[in-house]
Amino acid sequence: MKHYLDLIPLSQKVHRKQSRMVRLCIILSVFLVTAIFGMADMEIRCQKAQAEINYGKWHAGLQSMSDEETLLISARPKVLACTRYDTLNYRLSMHYQVEGREAVIIGFDESALDIFPTARLVEGIFPSEEGTAAVDQGTKERLSLSLGDQISLAAPDGSQRFYRISGFFGQLPMLARHDVCGLALSTEEFRRLSLEGSEDNHDSYLYVAFSPWCRIQKEIREIQEQFQIPDERINRNELLLATIGQSRDLSMMAIYLVALILAFLVAAAGILMISGSMGSNIAQRTEFFGMLRCLGASPDQVIRFVRREALCWCRSSVPVGALLGTVVVWVLSAMLRFLSPAYFGEMPYFGISLIGIAAGSVIGVITVFLAAGSPARKAAGVSPLTAVSGNASGLKQPARRFSGKLPFAGLRIAPPRIETVLGIHHALGSKKNFLLMSCSFALSIILFLTFSVTIDFMKHAVKPLDPSTPDLSIISPGNTCSLDRDLAERLTNLEGVKKVYGRSFAYDVSLQGAALSQKACLISYEANQFAWAEDSLIRGSLSETINGEGILSVYQGDSSLSAGDEVTLDTGTGERQFTVSGVLSSCPFQAENAQELLICSEETFRDLTGENDYTIIDIQLDRTAGDHVVSEIRGMGGENVSFSDRRLNNDEVRGAIWSFQFFVYGFLGVIALICVFHIMNSIAMSVSAHLRQYGAMRAVGMDSRQVLEMVAVEALAYGFCGILTGCAAGLPLNYFCFEKLITLRWGTQWYFPVAPLCVIFTAVLVSMLLAVCGPARRIRAMSVVDTISGR
Amino acid sequence: MELLKVENLSKVYGMGDSQVNALSDVSFSMNKGEFASVVGQSGSGKSTLLHCIGGLDTPTRGKVFLDGEDLFALDEKKRTIFRRRNIGFVFQAFHLIDELNVEQNIAFPLLLDHQKPDQKKIDGLLEMLGLTERRNHLPDQLSGGQKQRVAIGRALIMQPVLILADEPTGNLDSKSSRDVMDLLIHASRHYQQTILMITHNDNLASDTDRILRVTDGCLKDMGGKAHETLS
Repeated sequence: MKHYLDLIPLSQKVHRKQSRMVRLCIILSVFLVTAIFGMADMEIRCQKAQAEINYGKWHAGLQSMSDEETLLISARPKVLACTRYDTLNYRLSMHYQVEGREAVIIGFDESALDIFPTARLVEGIFPSEEGTAAVDQGTKERLSLSLGDQISLAAPDGSQRFYRISGFFGQLPMLARHDVCGLALSTEEFRRLSLEGSEDNHDSYLYVAFSPWCRIQKEIREIQEQFQIPDERINRNELLLATIGQSRDLSMMAIYLVALILAFLVAAAGILMISGSMGSNIAQRTEFFGMLRCLGASPDQVIRFVRREALCWCRSSVPVGALLGTVVVWVLSAMLRFLSPAYFGEMPYFGISLIGIAAGSVIGVITVFLAAGSPARKAAGVSPLTAVSGNASGLKQPARRFSGKLPFAGLRIAPPRIETVLGIHHALGSKKNFLLMSCSFALSIILFLTFSVTIDFMKHAVKPLDPSTPDLSIISPGNTCSLDRDLAERLTNLEGVKKVYGRSFAYDVSLQGAALSQKACLISYEANQFAWAEDSLIRGSLSETINGEGILSVYQGDSSLSAGDEVTLDTGTGERQFTVSGVLSSCPFQAENAQELLICSEETFRDLTGENDYTIIDIQLDRTAGDHVVSEIRGMGGENVSFSDRRLNNDEVRGAIWSFQFFVYGFLGVIALICVFHIMNSIAMSVSAHLRQYGAMRAVGMDSRQVLEMVAVEALAYGFCGILTGCAAGLPLNYFCFEKLITLRWGTQWYFPVAPLCVIFTAVLVSMLLAVCGPARRIRAMSVVDTISGR
Repeated sequence: MELLKVENLSKVYGMGDSQVNALSDVSFSMNKGEFASVVGQSGSGKSTLLHCIGGLDTPTRGKVFLDGEDLFALDEKKRTIFRRRNIGFVFQAFHLIDELNVEQNIAFPLLLDHQKPDQKKIDGLLEMLGLTERRNHLPDQLSGGQKQRVAIGRALIMQPVLILADEPTGNLDSKSSRDVMDLLIHASRHYQQTILMITHNDNLASDTDRILRVTDGCLKDMGGKAHETLS
């Protein structure tokens, strides 16, 4: 031993059990911060990857830039890559066709393969040679194409061009959803095509990717000023910019602000938790510190001793906390990948989040250092006399003397029992202690109230998929009722298909009611769709419509039909009268030209229109269904029909929902656990501090039930004040975060958070109950002599 | 040579009706190498006197000069440093550090003072204390007498000008008490160590050079046998 601080490791080895609670608190704090920051890091990485996949790796898109300007921009030192990117028929209004199918034509430079990951070639080479083109994977499969094949492109003016296939690029969600072909050309080839037939009809962008280490917004502003580009000609990839903290979108930055507040609150919870357990640890060793002071240790030396001791605890606890946090991040990442591979496919199974580990470790160490401050000062303030006088009980005596007067003496009610009065007296005995304990309860409530805003954020940010959302739709040519009913039945029997439901549409149906005469769109529903419609029924009933005796209308403001209205429909085959049996709040379709939407049974539709077949057949697939099922369905649908493949979109939405639910409920669960742990720890420490006093009371005749009641009343006093303080501080914070996260973005007004309050109050009460049970058991199990001597 | 000088030392606890005069205008002095004992009944103020002289407690009035330095004119930090360099304590309950062995316990005050322990000096001290064989033992493995000898060694290692012993034999049997007493006498005579010891035991007190009796906070010098070496 060369230094007095060398005593610390020796002491820690001997008193491992005594410091268990402190180490546990440090582990928990580091774990929490590592897990939260780690998951946030993983989520940001995943969001970044998704943003790159969905929108590309560009940061700014500049419309209609000349080649000269393009050259100047690409030469800027902070520009990593840029590509010209032109599209024709992107809105499908120009009717370019590849082999008779609607096509979107894209022209870009080879550098686009780096900027747009989905444009990456899965086979072949970039179509740099004249007369070559690349097509998407979907088109390759549909037209059974291979490298070197020739395809024809028909322009709206009737002219035709032929291209040799040089490569195939990945699937794009937009192309799949609209069932159109994607034809990729080099910029030069694209310009030849666009100059021939459709000058100025194409969208031309220069997409620029900057170095992520530069101030991207500043760079964009400089380019804008240099080339005099108006704002409307500049697009920003806000999602990607947000993932690297460079967005100027106010609502995005509000998320960062709220995340910062939450991180601060978590750190504060950690400080309070560690400080509390360290304070208790110090209180138990008052005599030891008094003895150090007797031997000549100065207060500064004692402070150094306590701080170093705390840092030594960090040495073992921080890595354990960081490791636990990392393992939790792995487990969560794996679960997210498993549950939603389309959305979280980019998430690494065993990703190491250096940010998470660094944040956990740094915040852990800083927290411990800050948390050690108060106990260290307390230890330094121990008088050397404490050791020699024999009065070092380690107890924190209530600062206020018990007046002996019952607090309810003035009231004309039965006086409370002595254990109740003593419980309240113990709680209120030391104002500082009471404040600290109440604050620790309050912090749990504040944390929960603040984090609970994320539930509302989730509900606003991610709308869940409607249960009727199909994975695939087969649409009849010209939206006529020409899809064979048998096709739906055959599809139902196909392996990998979960549900098949068809609809028939009749447009421009003459609708006449008491006060209206207009055109309506009549839609037939089958059993599945009626079942889903039940949830959106706002008036009347479905049964009459299902039985063919009525129809349903869809609410469209004040001019809507009401349940019970009598209407006459004429589809050209004769008039027929119906009663509106119910009104739906919404349906998955929108009527064109503000037509009334009417829903009837298949039999009614047949009677009215004489049509027996479907306009659209929707298909929901099993999770396990692969592309071969889709190919089979396409084969069964035939050549003339259109397909709409929404699988990618649906997966994205499902993934987003899973991700949010995991984060939000996971975090809230962890916070609730911390609250429980923190409250239990606080009560346990308070009981430890009063243990000798309880022993003395038991010695003079108080039974263990009375001691339990005393502890419970004390806990309730802390809880009551904590709840009041927590609500007083937590509700304004809840309001602030709600305003920043939700009102700013969606305009929804704040509402009183009844549900979160109920949950956290229950958690606080359960924690208090659990917190009282443990020490009570301890007191009961200890002999009176042991309790008095504090062994 | 006057080493310790106590002037009009008073200590009052509480206020009003509950006021207690633990010490009232106590004045005395001690020469270098003197071994004095303080006797008195329980609650007479002996321990308060010792604590005030040792700088552990602050007197209400009066001054304590140690080696010419006014103890209470120093601020807390300087007093602590002065105390650890000039005053050694021996307690009734030993107050050893359980995690440290005999040798480490003895050397600990040196480490607090950022001094490098002198192994030769420690070895010499261990030999004088009769603890050479037990140098690596933890306090739990020692008898009461041995523990007190370690505490005496710890007080001596800094070569303080004054050792304050608060009933050092209070927790020991008669044989161990005798050993400890012999050790203190040995330190006083061979190292010219000034020692002020509180004791209940009149026999032990009679072995010291001088006896001071405290009654209700007032001190009376009872004299004593002449210091053999000095006389």
